[in-house]
Amino acid sequence: MKNYKQFNITFRPFLPDLVSGLLWELDILGINEEDNFLFVFCSEESEVSIEQIEKILASLQRENLIETFSMESLILAYRNWNEEWEKKVNVIQVSDRIVIKPTFRSYDAKENQLVITIDPKMSFGTGEHQTTKIMLQLLEKFTSNGDAVLDVGSGTGVLAIASVLLGAAKAVAVDNDEWCLDNGIENIKLNSVEDKVHAVLGELSDISESGFDLIAANINKHILPDIVHELRNKIRKSGKLLLSGLLVQDELDIKEAYSTAGFKHIETVKMDEWIGLVFTV
Amino acid sequence: MAKKITGYIKLQIPAGAANPSPPVGPALGQKGVNIMEFCKQFNAKTADKSGLIIPVVITVYADKSFAFITKTPPAAVLLKKNLNLAKGSAEPNKTKVSKVTRDQLKEIALAKMPDLNANDIDHAISMIAGTARSMGITVEE
Repeated sequence: MKNYKQFNITFRPFLPDLVSGLLWELDILGINEEDNFLFVFCSEESEVSIEQIEKILASLQRENLIETFSMESLILAYRNWNEEWEKKVNVIQVSDRIVIKPTFRSYDAKENQLVITIDPKMSFGTGEHQTTKIMLQLLEKFTSNGDAVLDVGSGTGVLAIASVLLGAAKAVAVDNDEWCLDNGIENIKLNSVEDKVHAVLGELSDISESGFDLIAANINKHILPDIVHELRNKIRKSGKLLLSGLLVQDELDIKEAYSTAGFKHIETVKMDEWIGLVFTV
Repeated sequence: MAKKITGYIKLQIPAGAANPSPPVGPALGQKGVNIMEFCKQFNAKTADKSGLIIPVVITVYADKSFAFITKTPPAAVLLKKNLNLAKGSAEPNKTKVSKVTRDQLKEIALAKMPDLNANDIDHAISMIAGTARSMGITVEE
């Protein structure tokens, strides 16, 4: 699994804004500021080194902005940092029909209820979030028996799994994050739908199939306009496209981007500050 | 009654691109906060600032819920944005990559005053000027 380089940097006087801004000149992932330290992270493959950071700090010394500095570096192994929170995940009632539960909770399903088992392991799609609930409710409404479904940015796989449990003939779940995809595969097995859900590591462009009846994408607002044409090419005529990961104020921008590409908006669902949009072609 | 605060987490991450990798995962995970929930909210709320580095202060409550506020990008990031500069100089003493006026420095200093621990606006301007010089940006007098 992935490893990261971590640099623990301290300097006096402690001017985190000035120093951190210059550290972003390097190929870093992010910074955590705590107790007069900047913890700086980058991928293990990146060329960021102590020498590079020293050069930046020395330039600030020359400008008399800082007087002294010191640092150490270490390697941080990737792991499930969300484990503590995940231990407390409860049974989630998404709708009258759909219930999500982790393996360590029991639930007595009522007649016609569909219980999806999801152990999240630091992936999107636990069922807690409003956008996941919106998407599951939309899948419940729009999934027809025999459908072919595409789940873009599948995370835990919850949407792809739900679609086949709701009657779809097959679902393709694509995610570009290996950790998420592995978690999705675990959840697919937990729900015994391996024969119907195919998990793919990669981008939307890596999916060669097209003509999907239903496409679900619960991702980020700034990514959705970039993939509009690919989605248009993947959906069959009269198919339904379900989008979320969006705030109320994003509705006009997304509707405009998707209308321009030939999609017709047919429904908006709101839950707190979040929305889901339904389009067809 | 107001919720009991158990701590604060200060991060800098690119707008719209929070994910469970460090620094987000280790920082939030050790406080028992739902990492994925934070990522979803942060990405949605900063999607329109794509390309900028966003400082964020997360307040963690006793029930492990959280709230966050975003702040203005670091001074060096604002300098690059104002000067339409992709990168600072790798050799700031030798190679100059741009010029900045006192008015531009003042504009950034005013935006960054709350984060600089500066005594007054002139002190803040001199700090931004020093930052600019350490990036190979010539400060025009």
